[in-house]
Amino acid sequence: MKVLSKSFASVFLAVICLLSLELQAQDWVHTGTNLGQARIRMAVADFKPVGADPETPALKATFDSTLFSDLANAGIFDMVSKAMAPQATPGSPQEISLPQWSAAPANAEMVAFGALSASNGRLIVYGWLDDTRNTASPQVLGKQYNEAASQDMARTIAHRFADEIISRLGGGINGIAETKIYFVSSRTGTKEIWTMDYDGQNQHQVTHLGSISISPRISPDGSRLAFASLDRSGWAVRMYSTDLGRMVAFPAGQSGGTNQSPAWTSDGTKIAFSSSRSGDPEIWVADASGGNLHKLTSFRGPDVSPTWNPRTNAQLSWVSGRTGLPQIYIMDQDGANIQRLTDGGYAISPSWAPNGAMLTFSWNRKYGPGAPGGQDIYVMDIASKRWLQLTHDAGSNDFPSWAPDGRHIVFERQIGGHSQIWSMLADGTEQHQLTHQGNNFMPNWSWK
Amino acid sequence: MSSLLEGNEEQLERELASEPFAKPATGSLVLHAALTLAIVLYYVLGGFFHSNIWGGSTAGAAIRVQVTSALPLPSDQPINENVLATEKPSPAPEIPQPKEQAKTIDMTAVPIPGKKEKVKPQPAPKTPPKQQQVAQDNRARYGEQSGSSMPRAISGQTTTVGPTSVSEGDFGSRFPWYVDGINRKMAMMWNKSEVDPRTPKGTRVFLAYTIHRDGTPADVQVDRSSGSSTLDRSCVRAVQRVDTFGNLPAGYNSSTLKVSYYCEY
Repeated sequence: MKVLSKSFASVFLAVICLLSLELQAQDWVHTGTNLGQARIRMAVADFKPVGADPETPALKATFDSTLFSDLANAGIFDMVSKAMAPQATPGSPQEISLPQWSAAPANAEMVAFGALSASNGRLIVYGWLDDTRNTASPQVLGKQYNEAASQDMARTIAHRFADEIISRLGGGINGIAETKIYFVSSRTGTKEIWTMDYDGQNQHQVTHLGSISISPRISPDGSRLAFASLDRSGWAVRMYSTDLGRMVAFPAGQSGGTNQSPAWTSDGTKIAFSSSRSGDPEIWVADASGGNLHKLTSFRGPDVSPTWNPRTNAQLSWVSGRTGLPQIYIMDQDGANIQRLTDGGYAISPSWAPNGAMLTFSWNRKYGPGAPGGQDIYVMDIASKRWLQLTHDAGSNDFPSWAPDGRHIVFERQIGGHSQIWSMLADGTEQHQLTHQGNNFMPNWSWK
Repeated sequence: MSSLLEGNEEQLERELASEPFAKPATGSLVLHAALTLAIVLYYVLGGFFHSNIWGGSTAGAAIRVQVTSALPLPSDQPINENVLATEKPSPAPEIPQPKEQAKTIDMTAVPIPGKKEKVKPQPAPKTPPKQQQVAQDNRARYGEQSGSSMPRAISGQTTTVGPTSVSEGDFGSRFPWYVDGINRKMAMMWNKSEVDPRTPKGTRVFLAYTIHRDGTPADVQVDRSSGSSTLDRSCVRAVQRVDTFGNLPAGYNSSTLKVSYYCEY
């Protein structure tokens, strides 16, 4: 018996040891990214000012800084800092010495350079892109621009040249330097729709309705802006023509109940929105002209915030509260094949990636009083339902919207009662605040 | 009979004698108490050190995996094709220092009385003819070759840049940036987790496909199979996932580009 109790004691000790081991045990996870290629090392030479026009230095400064920031923001380049780059300002392919750029410390694989001149109110820019490793035929790109000489045009030309470079080196995906972001701002006292360049420059007001206007959605061709606005009969989906500069009719969005959150198909022929005209909010679809209205969902609980699959226009994602807290769902355009994507928490504001494979949305995974975490932006691969958290521990994040290149996401971040628009790369890096004035909400990235 | 009774008596005695069970019983009680305590402690401590589990493999009900490979963004991990190349070259043998000259006995160190010093006439130091200093490269060589400056024919050759090879004249030497773009895009689209993990490392499948003027790939074929059907399929799928490689360069005159690409597991 003694022997038995002794062996029990040893077993007991072993159990304790095992338990304590288990407390310490951690899995070794060996991870590695896919066989990725490094970012292209890109240098930008300051453009060479040609001529003695007094306007040239100011225009050149704008052009140089815009071109550099556009390429840095593209997300596919490893930029050579201006401090590391050679001091030379080659103005043509004959003047550039490629070894100077490919040598340390610049180590550039590509150099963008050119000349800029202002004369008689015209701004003329020659831009080139050279491959420093290919001495035989280095030129990748050569462009000439001739526009009116102004700060805005200098910025526009820089955007265009940057987009050419990004499109050429980014595998056929167009750059976003010329895209716009539409958003809601209350800086005038009422919530109106505003627009700005993708980098936060050039902000100006679009609507002047004097009521409350929210959730702007620009049409794929950029000619019309759909948004929800409060008028005498309640919330209505309304339409603004950016070509005409005035409101145009959208009859489907007017009748009864609360009409909200419009969403365009990528061909611009249809608009989905949520409407409570039949009781609780459901997803409705109408033609862009406002005709051919029909209801897609009919289920107890609210169904709001639709977004189309821009690749096929055959699927929609939306937010439904049919099981309690709002969750992200997808369905076919006829309302069949409903699938729930999120497994819990509080998930809202889906936006479908241009390549059709991913969704971004705002999710509070542990929703409830005292629960850890917050409202953050996530990306989900729809086929595998695997997700990636993009924002961490920084305010309350909502209303993500994909850029047309699928590499950037713009979103609203609220810190201490102040909402501002931020943008980031689609892997959560390079977060930049775009707006600083007043409160700004609900950004929407234009299609091109 | 009596012997039988005696036997019974003995048995009775043995049965009536008190067995020493007190000790094992208390031992057992203590053991059980200790076990219970251990279980309680485990959960209490587990509750205390709950934060240890955060970020571990059990992140929640859903699977948390990197999906950035599917995002059209390049990863920061550069491809390393060279098996021998290392981040830190191993220490190369030191540059041989000139050996210290054998110490010569200085006769003047200790003055010997009565010995006269001979003063040798010192020849004027000759300045050696100036030689060009060759920078000493103290770096281990791993079979790298310096590029030869010999002129070479560039037409009609298959040019290879990374896993992509283009059999279209001098395309690879004229537009290496486009071939780089193909590599980058393919690497981004190839999902290595689709491959059966039993596939030997280093196995390659060679594909052949055509890129049209607008950059869309077509006619994907397995040129040389790797022997692993999952690897073959994953590589073909990678091409199929590509919408466009970007318009073919403007300086290139043909309407299509034939490409051979390999996926290496």
